[in-house]
Amino acid sequence: MAGAVAKIPSLISSGLTAARPKFNIFMKYARVELAPPKLSEIPQIKAGIAKLLTSAKTGAWRNQTVKQASLNVLVGAEVIFWFYVGECIGKRHIVGYNV
Amino acid sequence: MSELPFGPPVRVSPLIRFGRWSFLATGILYGAFHQNRLSKRETKLREIEAKEKVVRDEKLKKEKALAAAAEIKALEEMVAPKK
Repeated sequence: MAGAVAKIPSLISSGLTAARPKFNIFMKYARVELAPPKLSEIPQIKAGIAKLLTSAKTGAWRNQTVKQASLNVLVGAEVIFWFYVGECIGKRHIVGYNV
Repeated sequence: MSELPFGPPVRVSPLIRFGRWSFLATGILYGAFHQNRLSKRETKLREIEAKEKVVRDEKLKKEKALAAAAEIKALEEMVAPKK
């Protein structure tokens, strides 16, 4: 038991050294893929919103394959779930409101 | 970007990234606002409950005393029944 406890610090440090390169790779992808939108991208965002609106108005959203539609639904759901992540951060509690 | 094992990073559409970040920000604001509102409401309720507790405790105490007296009386009658 004492031996197992004594091994814990070395286990932690070896785990950290193993995780560091992977974390660096993650950060390289995240810098690009999760970056907040830049000011220079506002025209693209506006164009995207306009495209969404026109496809909603003209009914063009019905003319897509099931695969495209399900992917779009998943992406949309993921985007909306960020709201709940933000809510959890804002209320500083994970389940329910801690009043 | 030669050391990237999964190829070059995907260019996520700006609209999706904008959506994610704006929903995250709205969520934080909504959560903080709602938390504030609910905790205010709850503190008011706690004050009312504290007031009611005093009254209720007194009532319970009286009832308990009455019940104890009645019990003792009943026991006394049991031990020494009046003839």
